[in-house]
This record gives sequence, structure tokens and C-alpha cells, in this order.
Amino acid sequence: MKTTSLTDYIIERLPEIWQRIGEHIFLTGISTLTAVFVGIPLGILAFYRPGLRGPLLGIVSILQTIPSLAMLVILLALFQKIGVIPAIVALILYALLPIVRNTLAALQGIAPEIIEAARGIGMTEWQKMRLIRIPLGIPVIMAGIRTASVAGVGIATLAAFIGAGGLGEFINRGLALSNTRLIFLGAIPAALLALLVDFVLGFIEKVCDPKRNRHWSHRFRFALKLSIVLIPLFLLIPVFISFSPWSSQTAGSSEKNETKGINVVRIASKNFTEQLILAEMMAQMIEKRTHLSVDRKFNLGGTIICHEALKRGEIDLYAEYTGTGLMAILKLPAMNNPDEVYHRVSEEYLNRFNLVWLEPFGFNNTYTLTVRKQDAVQNQWKIISDLIPMSSKLVAGFSGEFQERPDGYPGFQEIYGFKFGEVHDLDPGLIYQALAKGAVDVIDGYLTDGRIPAYNLISLKDDKKFFPPYYAAPVVREEVLSAYPDLREALAPLGSLIDNTTMRALNYEVNGNRRGISELVTEFLQDKEVL
Amino acid sequence: MIALDQVSKSYDGVSRIINNLSLEVLEGEILILLGSSGCGKSTILKMINRLIDPTEGRIYLDGKDIQQQDPIELRRSLGYVFQGIGLFPHLSIRENISMVPHLLGWPEDRINNRYRELLELVQLSPEIHADRFPDELSGGQQQRVAVARALAADPDYLLMDEPFGALDAITRDSLQQEFLDLKQRLNKTIIFVTHDIIEAVTLGDRIAILHEGRLEQIGTPEEILENPATDFVRELFAKSVKFWKGFKSIS
Ligand SMILES: Nc1ncnc2c1ncn2[C@@H]1O[C@H](COP(=O)(O)OP(=O)(O)OP(=O)(O)O)[C@@H](O)[C@H]1O
Ligand SMILES: [Mg+2]
Repeated sequence: MKTTSLTDYIIERLPEIWQRIGEHIFLTGISTLTAVFVGIPLGILAFYRPGLRGPLLGIVSILQTIPSLAMLVILLALFQKIGVIPAIVALILYALLPIVRNTLAALQGIAPEIIEAARGIGMTEWQKMRLIRIPLGIPVIMAGIRTASVAGVGIATLAAFIGAGGLGEFINRGLALSNTRLIFLGAIPAALLALLVDFVLGFIEKVCDPKRNRHWSHRFRFALKLSIVLIPLFLLIPVFISFSPWSSQTAGSSEKNETKGINVVRIASKNFTEQLILAEMMAQMIEKRTHLSVDRKFNLGGTIICHEALKRGEIDLYAEYTGTGLMAILKLPAMNNPDEVYHRVSEEYLNRFNLVWLEPFGFNNTYTLTVRKQDAVQNQWKIISDLIPMSSKLVAGFSGEFQERPDGYPGFQEIYGFKFGEVHDLDPGLIYQALAKGAVDVIDGYLTDGRIPAYNLISLKDDKKFFPPYYAAPVVREEVLSAYPDLREALAPLGSLIDNTTMRALNYEVNGNRRGISELVTEFLQDKEVL
Repeated sequence: MIALDQVSKSYDGVSRIINNLSLEVLEGEILILLGSSGCGKSTILKMINRLIDPTEGRIYLDGKDIQQQDPIELRRSLGYVFQGIGLFPHLSIRENISMVPHLLGWPEDRINNRYRELLELVQLSPEIHADRFPDELSGGQQQRVAVARALAADPDYLLMDEPFGALDAITRDSLQQEFLDLKQRLNKTIIFVTHDIIEAVTLGDRIAILHEGRLEQIGTPEEILENPATDFVRELFAKSVKFWKGFKSIS
């Protein structure tokens, strides 16, 4: 597709941009507001109970140091849910430190003579707090709220990682597709939003400061204070109402779909191009060939997130790879025969999780080590074992998943008996670019990745047959299959439709030629006459 | 009547800031607590108000032991002008003065009448000053407001801790004169702390001279001047005798 002009590009996506901004404000707003209602009392508690002060501040400080993604994943495990709830909880936890700390500092910072006077004229503890400490401490407390909100806008971009929406959606998708424009589409509004929040709260901070603006008439001051409380509520209520279908979808279950009277199938994908293409294919087939409607929950963080969501019935199907199912999910030892793997996986999934593997799409997207073509030619690398002599000088860039999985780098070292000199943890979306630009020398490429030809890279042959077969196939909840029997039928034509070359080409269309996925998929399916 | 009965106070458990002090404040008088800086004058006022508790001894207010009273109610029934003023910087003059009546739950219109009355009493204008904030008044005006706040709920007793301490001599003079007028009209029992001998003899019905936590002498200015009980008192007043003679000849 020809590159559209930037303005067209933005105008086209304007409705979604607004939606994502709305979600973003909702996520940040509701979590900061909650953190205010929790954090200020905690700050007051810490003020009155010096014994609690250390532990309390310690805990909120530690919470702050947990890396955001780790926090999201921990909460995901804790809540057993993808979507808005764990994202909001994570944001609340991050917002606590500045609010608690500033509240405590504000209360402690009041001049002792003023407190003595308040006590001396006969104020109770509560009256001192309400009439003296809080009003005088407001500017410091507000500064804490402001810090928390601005940071919250930034952290909320990560919420998309667990399917909670927001401007991070664009960033995630941009990373998955290595599409810089998409990344900016999320990053720039998020930055502007942060500036706006900073400005608005800065203004409110000034209004609340008892040392300023105090000659505004009482009625005006009262109206202003009232509006400071009410405006966010009024802003949040419609946002909340309009997004509640969105939030209930995320948290919803299949029963909910039926009570709504529409039959919805929720399709998920992991966060890379091929997954998005496969998910879109399944979605279009179901939309065209059944009366079901599709809820696209694409771009979830990774295998575990998709699998857990599927098990819990938060999504109905996604495309999984046999090798991943075998080793990462079932934790079974590696096997080499593709059919054996498929049957083993199907059987175990059905028994353990009530999940059904449908017919594979046909291609094998196994891991492979990938290098620059130019290096391969120069050093005569053809198979993985060719790397051994130079391995200690080579810098590897591996995705986090590859570094951890038994069928990834750990197992690899055992079978091949060597390590790389340095290993960097890279986002799967950036890995090919990093290799092409020379930042690393070896990556864990996928055999079908369109970026391999696009960036002039080459995959090395797995001479020790370490990597198990990774045939992709739809994995569906059995419950859903029996509730909607035509689902299996609708997806059947996708079976064995796509070989390695085709998949690589489709991936390249998206990553190399920047084609839109839904349009590309429609064209492909029509071409194959299955739609 | 306020009575201190063998009161001692120690902050650190070793040295006594106040040592075995007994003292009576008579109905309707101004008793001056006179002593050098750090001798425990503020500590005495704070103990009467229960901002701090004595280590030993008892304090009686109208015959009742203040330790048996609710401290909040006690404090609201005593007017207190704090050393260093202690106005609330975020509240207007009107709000500062109305605070105690507000805490006592007075109806709104009564509070409104009261603060105007008080502002006029301390020679400030309700129209000009009521809606200003403490830092928008001069030091002398702030002192007046502090006095007005202490008088707000019309207490029988007034504790005044160096109310004119931080003022220049001219302002202090005129405030002292106003204060004497005020006292005539109000008929309160007042404990007035100062380390200024001239202020003590100008304002006091009686003077209690404190030194190192002990009461050196208590009596009317004349009694003390004519019969200093200790060397300390004698030396203290020696410098002021000339002034005192002049003062007496005028009155
Ligand atoms: N909270 C406290 N802890 C320990 N020592 C204190 C405390 N408050 C006052 N003191 C000490 O007690 C002594 C008497 O203090 P106080 O404030 O009563 O003095 P003062 O006579 O009012 O002096 P000034 O004229 O300077 O106001 C001082 O030596 C002071 O350092
Ligand atoms: Mg003092």
C-alpha cells in the first residue's frame, strides 16, 4: 500500500484516537482518584502513628520500585483476570507513594506555634486536622497528587499490555508491527495528556493554596472548590458509563454474551504480526460464515496471558503453536515429529483445560537463530553449529520469552553446548531491527517472519533438531464449540491453507510494505476463495 | 481565682524549670509574671491551660482541680494570647476571631455580632480589617487581633504571654494604654507575662517575680519597690527606680 499522508493517516484513526484517549483518562483518573482516597487517610494514619510510619512508607516505596510490566504480570496472576481491573490496581499502587509521602510531609510541616495555638484555644485532634493541618497542607498534598497523576498518565500506556486499552494500544501495536507511526500515535497524545494534566492540576494547586487567591469572594472560592470536586466526577461518570461495556467485555464471560442476546466470539492474539494476521483471518471467517459477531481482543502481552485468559473464559479462541503448547504450557519434554506433537497437545489440552485444537494452518513457525546475510556469507554460516567457533564474540538479542522457555535459550545451551558472549533482552518487536542495524549479531527469529527477507537476514538450519515443531492452529474453548457448532465449520477452510512461504509473505506485506492487516486478510481469503 | 499549689515542672526529669511554686491570682486583678528569658513564665501559663501538665503539685481554677476537668473545655473557657501571636495564617481576621465561638457552636448571627464588637474593642475596623489575613496587618494590629481572639468567648480569665513583646516602644506604649482602658471595662482576671519591668509596673495590680524556677517575691509594685525581698529583686529594680519615681509623681 502506498504510504498515506500523515494527516490522512491521523484523520482515519481519529475515532480510535479519541476512544483511546478516553480510556486513558478513565484509567488514570479512576486510579488517581482512588489513590487519593486511600493515600490521604494512609498519610494521616502515618502522621498519628509514628510506629506505622516506617513500615507504611517502606511498603509504598517498594511498590514504586517494582518495574511496571512486572507489576502488571503479578497483578494478572493475582486477579486471574486480564483487562481493566489489574491495570487500575497497578496504577493505584504506583500513585500511593507520592500521595502518602506528601500528605505526611504536609501534616508534619505545619509550624509548631500554629499547632500550639490551635491546641491552646481548645481544638480537638480532629478539629486541628480539619481546620488547620489539612488546609495549610493542601498545597503540598496537591503537589503529591499532581506528581502521581502525571506519572500515572505515563504508566497507563503499559495497561494495553494486559488488554486494558488506552493509548498504549497504539504503542503496543506499533511495537508488534515495527511501525513507528503507530508508536507515535500513542506516545504523542500520551505526552500531551501528561502536560495537560500537569497544567490543570498545577492550576488547581494554586487555587487551593490558602496563601493565594484568598481575596476572591467566598462564594467564588466555594464554587471553585466545589467544581474541583465535581468536574472530575462529571468527567468520569460519562466516561465510565460509555466504557462499561468495554470493561465488562474484558471481564466478561460467555454467559454474559448470551444474556446480551448477541452471540459474541472473543478472539485474542499475542503481540506480533503473524498472530494479528491469523486472528484477523479467524475473525473474518467467523463474521462472514456464521451469525456470530466477533470481539477482537488482539495484542495481549504473550503466550501465558492468552492461555490464562482462554482457560478462564475471558476469551474464546486464539492461534497457538504446537511446540509452545507442548513445552511452554504443558511443560512436556521436546518431541520432533510434528504429528505426534499435535496429537499429544490436542489430547492434553482437552483433558486438562477443556480446550480444543482445530486443524493447523499449515506452516511451521519454529524458532531459528537468525543472522545478517552478509555475516553468514562472510563466515560461511549455514547451520547453527557453524557459530560455535565465534560464539563467545557474538552478541545475542533474545526476546524475554525465548530466554526463559525450556525450548528456548536454556535448552539450546544444553543441546548445542555453547553460549553467546553477551545476551541482551529485547522486545520481540524490535529484535529484527536491532539485528539489521548491527546492535546485536544473533537473534531468535521466527522462521516465518516477514522481516527476515525484509531486513536482508538469514535463518540458520537447526542441525541438532533442537527446536520442536511450531505448527499454528486455532485453540478454542470446548464450551464455545458446543454452544456454536458452526464455529468449527467456519474455520475449517483455514486448515492447511498457509505454508511457510505464504506466511512469510503475508508477514512481509505488513512489516515491509505496511499493508493494513484487515484489508490484506480479506484480499488473501478472497484470493483463496474461502471467504 | 486561679491557685497554684506547690507546682513543679521538669521536662527532662532532672532539672526543675519550675520549683515548688505556689501562687494565687485574685479575682479581677492583673497579675504580672516577671522574670528573665527562659525562667519558665510561658511554662506556667501552659500548665494553667493544660497545654502541658505539671510534674508535681496542683492547679485550681475557681477551687476546682484542673486535672479533673476536660482539657478541651478548660482551654475554651480561658482566653490565651500566645507568645508570638499564633494567628492562623490561612484564615481571615474575622475567621481567626470567630474560631472559639465557632468551636463552641455559637449561632452564626451571634458570631457575626461578636467579631465586629471585638474588632471595635481593639480599635480595628470591621469594614477594613475583617477580611484581611494576618500577614496583611502590621505587628501591632496582629497583637490586637490576638487579644480580640482571646476575648472572643468572653472568658473570665485571660492568659497573656508577652502580648506586646515584639513591638517597638511607641506602639507598645499606646497598646499598653489601650489595654488599661480595656481592662477597666472588661473586669477580667488576667495573668500577664513580661520580662519588661516598666511594662510590669505600668500594667500590674500585683507582680510576681520569678527567678530560676522560684517565686522571689509577689506584691503590688509599691510593696516590691519599697521592700524588695531578695537581692535579686533589689538589683532588678535598681535600674528602674528613677523611672518609677517619675511615674509615681505623674499619677
Ligand atoms: N518542650 C520543652 N522541652 C524541654 N525544655 C523546654 C521545653 N519548653 C521549654 N523548655 C525549657 O524550659 C525553660 C522555660 O521555658 P519557658 O518557655 O517557660 O521560658 P520563658 O520564661 O517563657 O522565656 P521567654 O521569656 O524567653 O519566653 C527554658 O529553659 C526552656 O528551654
Ligand atoms: Mg515565654
